[in-house]
Amino acid sequence: MIAELYKATFETIYMIFFSGFLATIFGIPLGVGLYMSSRSKKYNKVYFILDTFVNVFRSIPFIILVLLLIPLTKKVIGTIIGTNAAVFNLTIAAIPFMARLSENSFNNLPGGIVDSAKSMGMTNWQFVTKVLLPETLAEQIANITVLLINLVAYTAIAGAVGAGGLGQLAINYGYYRFQWDAVLYSVIILILISQGIQFLGNRFSNLFRR
Amino acid sequence: MKEIIRAEDLVLSYGKGNNRRIILDHINFSLSEGQIFGIVGLSGAGKTSLLRTFNLLNTPDSGKIVFDGIEITSLDDVKLREIRKKIGVVFQNFNLFRSKTVIENIAFPLILDGTSKKEAFKKVSAIAEELGLSHRLNAYPSQLSGGEQQRVAIARALITDPKLILLDEPTSSLDPLTTKKILNLVLEINERHNVTFIVVTHEMEVVKRICDSVAFLKFGKIDFLGSTHEFFIKVENGDIEDFGEKIEEEILPELIAEFDKNHIFRVIFWGENTKKPVLWETAKKFDIKINILYGKIEKFKLGNYGSLIIEVEGKGIEEFVEELRNSVYSIEPLRIF
Repeated sequence: MIAELYKATFETIYMIFFSGFLATIFGIPLGVGLYMSSRSKKYNKVYFILDTFVNVFRSIPFIILVLLLIPLTKKVIGTIIGTNAAVFNLTIAAIPFMARLSENSFNNLPGGIVDSAKSMGMTNWQFVTKVLLPETLAEQIANITVLLINLVAYTAIAGAVGAGGLGQLAINYGYYRFQWDAVLYSVIILILISQGIQFLGNRFSNLFRR
Repeated sequence: MKEIIRAEDLVLSYGKGNNRRIILDHINFSLSEGQIFGIVGLSGAGKTSLLRTFNLLNTPDSGKIVFDGIEITSLDDVKLREIRKKIGVVFQNFNLFRSKTVIENIAFPLILDGTSKKEAFKKVSAIAEELGLSHRLNAYPSQLSGGEQQRVAIARALITDPKLILLDEPTSSLDPLTTKKILNLVLEINERHNVTFIVVTHEMEVVKRICDSVAFLKFGKIDFLGSTHEFFIKVENGDIEDFGEKIEEEILPELIAEFDKNHIFRVIFWGENTKKPVLWETAKKFDIKINILYGKIEKFKLGNYGSLIIEVEGKGIEEFVEELRNSVYSIEPLRIF
């Protein structure tokens, strides 16, 4: 069982970080889109569309989303079970979440900083790359930490529908075969992963707090 | 002198329908290059709102702003960006970028415009030297004192050689000594680089020390527009109410109680004559006895400002007053509040 625990732990970590990475690189730009369009009368409609999109995806419970995504997952990944299929599902669920988190951080940027930037006559692109992202970097790292810890829970759920990882191990050995030690170990490892992510996230975020 | 900025019939309001509040009510003025112009008034008078319309951080409902010969109120985004680069702004809370060091903050406007880092940093060094910031270049804003942050903000506004710098309450969060330093700095920059400043403030001290002329805002309207010493006379006279510094209201009644009210005058000295013994000379000529009840002299940007309240005794009072009128800025019977 030790060997299986190792394998499952590796799978879980793989799913968390791979989907976390993808959700970050798609989610933050989506967050930028939300923030920028919300502040412009001209792009009012864009905001409405993005906002609705994000709300809809965030409203669907993850397990239902996985079911709904089956045809798409099959098309994109080729299969609906295994870690890669799970990564796909997790990423889709996490992108709107990350977008909302980052949008919130952007909204917390002091109005004075925005005025300051505007007064310098910078372009929107310059504003995003040289002010918005650098000024909120520490918060974005904290956001990514929150995202990753959410993904820890989500991978466990994904385990119930054949994603592999610690979630599936706990269900297969514990729920179906009453090997409660397997459940216990899985849970302990999940807790350790969460703790580790939070610890490193805080450390890293503080590095960029000025 | 060449005009640098002009406001024509500016109207600004917030809100809509029944909630519409007029913030600026038909503001008109013109400012020539190299001046330091004060916008004063109580909190809520619309000072900062007015300042923010000059680079269109606030868009006026109607009216025009003409900057350096260009009507900026009708420009598209791209052209407006170019204009904004020519107007430096120093905000009340400094608004420095927290993620950038002092040198990066100051150099930022140049870097945005495509100047190489090396060249930009070189220019920053020169300005930092001038402003006494050389030893703080690698610090982050959060590590600086208020006065230092203010100087960084000024340096950042100066770096692009703007023609106009907008200062929003530049000294409201500084101690008296730092205030003095910052004001001197503004005067120096004004003189050396011929930069025009528009300063929003509610502090009389700032107006006196650095402003050539003043607009006094009241409920969004210009209540007074003119030179600093004229403004000051009005304030002392109580013509401009609610702006403090009405001449020693408390001690005055007591001072003048025992005298004939018709023999009490207020004399204002301004410019040259503040240094000459005109009062004594004229009094001697008409054999008038002067009793000084109150007096002070203050240094304004454009010269010394003296204010006296005198009680006069003798026969030729009227002639004395007429003669004195020629050699002082003004002499008038004191109005009792």
